[in-house]
Amino acid sequence: MTKPKVVFSPVSQEFFENPYEIYARMRDDAPLYYDEEEDFYALTRHEDVAAAFKDHESFSSARGCDLSMVRTGEVPQRSIIFMDPPDHRHMRSLLNKAFTPRAIQSQKETVTELIEHYLAKADPDNFDVVQDFSGPFPVEVITRMAGVPEEFRQQVRHWIDKSLHRKPGQIDLDDDNMQANIDSAMYYYGLVQERRENPQDDMISRLIAADIPGENGEMRQLDDIEITGFTTLLGGAGAETVTKLVGSAVVEFARHPDQWQKLLDNRSKIPDAVEELLRYVGPVQYNVRYSVKEVEVPSGTIPANKPVFLMGAAANRDPRAFDDAETFDIERDRTRAQNLGLGYGIHSCLGAALARMESAIALDHLLDFMPRYDVNFDGLQRVNMQNVAGYQNVPVKVLR
Amino acid sequence: MSKVEVDFGLCESNGVCMGIIPEVFDLDDQDYLHILQDEVTPENEHKIREAVRQCPRQAIAIRDE
Repeated sequence: MTKPKVVFSPVSQEFFENPYEIYARMRDDAPLYYDEEEDFYALTRHEDVAAAFKDHESFSSARGCDLSMVRTGEVPQRSIIFMDPPDHRHMRSLLNKAFTPRAIQSQKETVTELIEHYLAKADPDNFDVVQDFSGPFPVEVITRMAGVPEEFRQQVRHWIDKSLHRKPGQIDLDDDNMQANIDSAMYYYGLVQERRENPQDDMISRLIAADIPGENGEMRQLDDIEITGFTTLLGGAGAETVTKLVGSAVVEFARHPDQWQKLLDNRSKIPDAVEELLRYVGPVQYNVRYSVKEVEVPSGTIPANKPVFLMGAAANRDPRAFDDAETFDIERDRTRAQNLGLGYGIHSCLGAALARMESAIALDHLLDFMPRYDVNFDGLQRVNMQNVAGYQNVPVKVLR
Repeated sequence: MSKVEVDFGLCESNGVCMGIIPEVFDLDDQDYLHILQDEVTPENEHKIREAVRQCPRQAIAIRDE
């Protein structure tokens, strides 16, 4: 008897509902997965994914980072995630000092205030962790840092959600995705114009003032479209990810109450819990690259000129890399293998320290707000999105 | 003799290395990384290799001489 062939579709309902079952089959039976229908490769074992993240010369980002973009073959808009060195380095160096663990400490008070604000408004008997809490607070933090006025900050989150949504079977952008992208780009473009007139102490103003090396070695300034793109990306990457991590955290701790109890008993384990959440239910499922040449990875050879899915979320549960990889254990030995939840190598998450801090403060406050709680599992609603997974509704009742 | 090298073009002061082996890696108040001790010895080799592996930016290397 032969096993049925593994089929991975990044936009199937099956994948949206439970990616981890498909990952296990891909790791075991098709570590060098090739999809004949859509003509792409996918890597799921830890050693393959980590090697590919490191090898940015073979696995290019310059064609885009999702299947739809990479296979059009068009040059994408100039955005840091769609760049290889040296352009990538130039752009990244404009903002990386603002996101170091030390620099991010300046945001701690804001994060704490926002978390307390949203929890104070929450109804303990009828609390939707995502809609009432983990959706609204991270977007406020990052858009405030970027320079978005308060009254528009929540709107940013709705644009992101609309832009990333995928219907089952839909690989390319539809009209709704496009409209959200246009609306948010128009908004940010206007904001950049305003900041040119009237600079503030924010990231948009810093990007306006910055110089980067141009094509002929002369220094140049970013244009309005580049700044719009960078700011849009910051708002997206810095908001919906923590939203999903915190939503998934509440679900996993409800499934593993012994782990929640460990945190109740000892808050100093919160940072370890955040790392384990990033490994076990990290929101980013994969990043797509483009093989610029034939390239060897431990599981075999990938031909030149193919879209390649680097599936970090699958690698993070690879039993070849982690002991009891499918077990949620906040006390696991973290040195066993590299956690790929925030990526790895030159494109690893710029906001990693901010994401960790927001998640840790959120958990600390949730431990106070709901030391005992029930999740209404029938009410859980997953998102269907391009490359990120998590919940859009996590209904909770706080027990007293 | 093997030595520790940091690519300062890649380093973003995440401080993971300092957390693993502060005798070798140190971040100053301006968030600049300093190598306090660049020689890889039998005593520090295990931790330095751990820092190389865990650096999210892949900015640390061991150069054999």
